[in-house]
Amino acid sequence: MEINPRTNGNVTILDLRGNLTIGSGEEELTAIIARLLKEGQRHLLLNMAEVPFIDSSGIGGLIKSFSRAKSDGGKLKLLNPSQTARQLLSITGLLSVLEVFDDEATALSSF
Amino acid sequence: MQKPALLKIVDQFGVNKTLPLVKRVFTIGRKPGNDLMLLSSGVSRDHGAIVYDNETYYLVDKDSKSGLFVNGERVTRCELHHQDNIGIGGHEDCQIQFLEESLPPIFESSKGLSLSQPHPASGASANEELQQLARYVEVHQAFKFSLTPDDVLCLIVDAAIEMANAERGCLLLTNDAGQLEFKLARDSKRNLLSGVDFQMSRTVVQEAFAERRTVVVKDHLENDQNIRQSVYDLNLRSIVCVPLSHFQMSEKTMGATEMLKHNTIGVLYVDSRKSRGEFSKTALTLLESLAFEASKSLESVRLMQEEQEKKRFEREFATAREVQLALLPTTFVQPAYFEVAAHSIPCRYVGGDFYDLLTLDDGRSVLILGDVSGKGMSAALLASMAQGVIHAQFNSGLSLPDVVTSLNRVLVRKSDVQRFLTLFCALIAPDGTLNFVNAGHNPAILMRTSGKTELLSSGSMLLGAFDFAEFHAHETKLEPGDVLVIFSDGVTEAANAANQLFGDQRLEALVKKSAGLSAKDIKERIEREVVTFTRGLPQGDDITLIALKMKSLIS
Repeated sequence: MEINPRTNGNVTILDLRGNLTIGSGEEELTAIIARLLKEGQRHLLLNMAEVPFIDSSGIGGLIKSFSRAKSDGGKLKLLNPSQTARQLLSITGLLSVLEVFDDEATALSSF
Repeated sequence: MQKPALLKIVDQFGVNKTLPLVKRVFTIGRKPGNDLMLLSSGVSRDHGAIVYDNETYYLVDKDSKSGLFVNGERVTRCELHHQDNIGIGGHEDCQIQFLEESLPPIFESSKGLSLSQPHPASGASANEELQQLARYVEVHQAFKFSLTPDDVLCLIVDAAIEMANAERGCLLLTNDAGQLEFKLARDSKRNLLSGVDFQMSRTVVQEAFAERRTVVVKDHLENDQNIRQSVYDLNLRSIVCVPLSHFQMSEKTMGATEMLKHNTIGVLYVDSRKSRGEFSKTALTLLESLAFEASKSLESVRLMQEEQEKKRFEREFATAREVQLALLPTTFVQPAYFEVAAHSIPCRYVGGDFYDLLTLDDGRSVLILGDVSGKGMSAALLASMAQGVIHAQFNSGLSLPDVVTSLNRVLVRKSDVQRFLTLFCALIAPDGTLNFVNAGHNPAILMRTSGKTELLSSGSMLLGAFDFAEFHAHETKLEPGDVLVIFSDGVTEAANAANQLFGDQRLEALVKKSAGLSAKDIKERIEREVVTFTRGLPQGDDITLIALKMKSLIS
């Protein structure tokens, strides 16, 4: 998985590209999130427009990242998850805690 | 002092050897370390011995398979007389004669128990080369026998000492980190030497290993100051150090063809305080060739050990699978008000899916199906724990939401495990009342007798993620003939060669088509359809199914 961070104001946007599955992306994602939090970034937005598939390990990665951000006093939100990703987030009940946005501007202004 | 005696041997290659009997027990066998080692598959590892007792030599059989013979007669214990012919069963082409006489003086100054004839002071005679060749062939053949790793090591060092006319030798092999490690040292009398006391020239060893070439050091000709110093310090006259190296196929990389590459697994080191190191070219070539063969042999021993280790793990996993399957009920006490069938097929030995059926004291039944994230042993351990927690808590009288809530807390407290659990838990009363909690799990399919289906989801969070998660039970009423199918995502995410998923819709349609079937037949039909759909592709995830069909209700 490719993860490209960029900054907009006080929000760090991570453009993800590729599947978020066991052995692919999950560990990189949690590592990058941990690093950004350590560097003092508190507002994180995961752009998932180019993540076609997530499995249960990928969900685990999102949970870990979200929990980590929360315990460090930060916020982690999702932008444009695919239909299947959204379905999985819904089934696993995570939509009740993870804020999901369909356009970047709204997402940025929500922090 | 023993009565002088010796063995005159003409081996299978026609080479003469003379061995003095100077020990009270002189052992014979295939195992390295025997005073007379005979490398033939017919010879037992500890075949027999010549024992000196009460001024007399006896030939004694040590339960060998093929026996010992004196002048053609098989014996188990027999007094030996001058000029008796000794036969070793399984090694008949080797002639051995027992002589009650001393070694000629020239032998006394040579290497004692060495199998080789004494060598002229300078250069190598044709006879010596012949012996070295014979020794080489002998060892080469020995590699074909099933020897233990220690046997192979002894054999290599002994042969090298002999072929180089050295007094002692040792073997160093690389460890997992690629560093050379001392393995074994022997002297020319085939005694084991301790590694602690074995001083050797590290410079020479490193050079042979790093540059993958034979290093020969002769004290009077050495130019390298460091080496000359270490040879002087160790009071040596000559050293031979040969890398243990063989070719192996390098691992295939994408699109590349296979390549031969060197695999250096250690070095063979021998040295001498007497010999000036006048090795013939033949002796060195043989020694290098021996090192090459030895390297291959050691590598195959290593691979064999790895294979055995792998088999041991496989047996352990197979046991784990049996235990896990035994934890999942296969036959249920079918309540009067429904029939049920369930099955779990782990995609590896063990899986992260589990199911259970409990009957509570008040006659209600609990059906659970859980799926721990990830696969294999680690997921299976957590699955078993979760199954146990749920079992215990229902038995202690907790309500359905409380059971799920407390399981969530248990899992969050174990968050180091970094695994999550999705769970469908149903509580069914004899009057048809169904309470369920769906904690992040795929919605179960409820098919009414009308043919309409309902998906049972409650939007609750998966377990093990957040301690603040709340769980509520949802309620519905089941009627006779209603079918409930609870499943893990291994069913709907089963993929075919075109990477299409079995999918929710296909499963729902299949349940609809199966209205007339029993619970058992519905379960089996779904399993069959999934196998047909994936057309024998390896299963990507654990597949677990519970099918339930309501019968007459009891109010």
